[in-house]
Amino acid sequence: MESVRPYLQFARLAFQRRATYRLANWSGVAVNFFFLLVHAQVLIGFFRARGNASGWTANDAVLYFASSESLLMVIGIFPDYRYNLAERVRTGEIVSDLVRPLTLFWRELAERYGTGAYYLVTRAPAVFAAGWLVYGLLPPLRWELALFPLSLALAITVSAGLWFLACSSAFWRESASGEMSAIVFVNSFLGGVFVPLDFYPQALRWAADVLPFRATLYTPVAILTGKLSGAELAFGILHQMVWCAALALLAFRLESRGLRRLAIQGG
Amino acid sequence: MNSLRFYLLLASASLRSHMQYRGTFALRSAIDFGVIISDLAPVWVLARYFGSLDGWSFAELALLYGMVATSWGIVEVTLRGFENFSVYLVRGDLDRLLLRPRGVILQVAAHDFEMRKLARVAQALVVLVLANASLGLGLGSLAWVALGIAGGTLCFAGIVMLGASAAFWTLGEASELQNILTYGGSAALSYPVSIYTTWFRRVITYGVPLAFVNYFPALAALGRTEAAGWPRVMPWLSPFACSVALFAGMACFARGLRRYESTGS
Repeated sequence: MESVRPYLQFARLAFQRRATYRLANWSGVAVNFFFLLVHAQVLIGFFRARGNASGWTANDAVLYFASSESLLMVIGIFPDYRYNLAERVRTGEIVSDLVRPLTLFWRELAERYGTGAYYLVTRAPAVFAAGWLVYGLLPPLRWELALFPLSLALAITVSAGLWFLACSSAFWRESASGEMSAIVFVNSFLGGVFVPLDFYPQALRWAADVLPFRATLYTPVAILTGKLSGAELAFGILHQMVWCAALALLAFRLESRGLRRLAIQGG
Repeated sequence: MNSLRFYLLLASASLRSHMQYRGTFALRSAIDFGVIISDLAPVWVLARYFGSLDGWSFAELALLYGMVATSWGIVEVTLRGFENFSVYLVRGDLDRLLLRPRGVILQVAAHDFEMRKLARVAQALVVLVLANASLGLGLGSLAWVALGIAGGTLCFAGIVMLGASAAFWTLGEASELQNILTYGGSAALSYPVSIYTTWFRRVITYGVPLAFVNYFPALAALGRTEAAGWPRVMPWLSPFACSVALFAGMACFARGLRRYESTGS
């Protein structure tokens, strides 16, 4: 059994790397808040013609976006284009990982958790508070909320798995930035960043329920909004768990195969 | 024109370097085309579910999207250097540009010229063509669309320059802020400005002339200016409002450049 300590250190460093740039975080709060305002007003606009849709009201939609914009960075919907596995492969820096007894996927996961923790204490409360000041909406207190921390942790894990998959293509090609953009587009759409999945046409909804993407944003956010209960809640959490396991297994396989392919440039 | 030739020279150098990896270039272009999935598909989902938005059908919303995405795409291709400007500033790359006997704005603009982003313009143009096919716009309306796109390009050019000039003061720590007006602006403009609450509408009309990018020209193109309660003159003001944004951006950048002292080493 490997020691956990180096990974705790990676998590701590990822936390500190973000914490160095305070102003950057505040700029990010402003960006999230702006998108919150846009999404909320668009949905309010669409709801103006009808009061209730698929069991949702305009208020539910606003709360959904207040939650999703608060959690986007915690979950890691956007990749870090500067510090990631693919960049380490490209620059050859990955050598320093290889000389240590290190599992690359665990490192990725630890860094995701460190980053997520930073945004959870800084970004999320600020964005949510700003949304609350404008719309005065809070998550409804129900017992289902107790599952939110678990769902959030699973979401961060799935997100780490997706980024690891995208980045590991750098073992075979010289870059993975295209793969990362592709994941951003698909994850935004099928993860429910712009529209709650409840409004999707049947076929798309079905695709979203099978593919891993709803596990990143939709499930934790819908739990926080109070829109998942009973069988749907059970399915959501189970779906997250299954994809966590599947992506982790895939990541380990890609890691061992990729490392065999890897040739470090240098001279 | 000497400066245009110079810009093309720098751009083609960037292009040649990207073309060293043809496969990657093709793949990334294809993926950039996929921005349509994250940006337009949600509009389609909502319009399909709810019917229309404040009297705007999906085809009309697609027209708004096509216009703003074309303008923003053109700026992303041609002025990429301003988006990454804070990085050059921090790394000291700007000093190298200052040493050359050519305009700095031109050199920054051509820095990191990314041809693959043309795919973003292409997807926007495809949307425009389809929207037009469904709406059956006349020649006059199409002229308004073209005018809007031209104005929008100037406006977004001003915005990225404004964002870049902020780096002179913040050294790039606040570089995310410009995303509000660029990515956030394009997202907001995919819907008619009329749906926003009064203060928000005022900010994106009079504060930053975003509404002039596509909303007013689209109103004119669709012949609904007065129905929407705006003075007839608003669409005509578009080129002027957008030029003001461009000049404001250029002026800020020039100011920042004047106060710039190299980081040294």
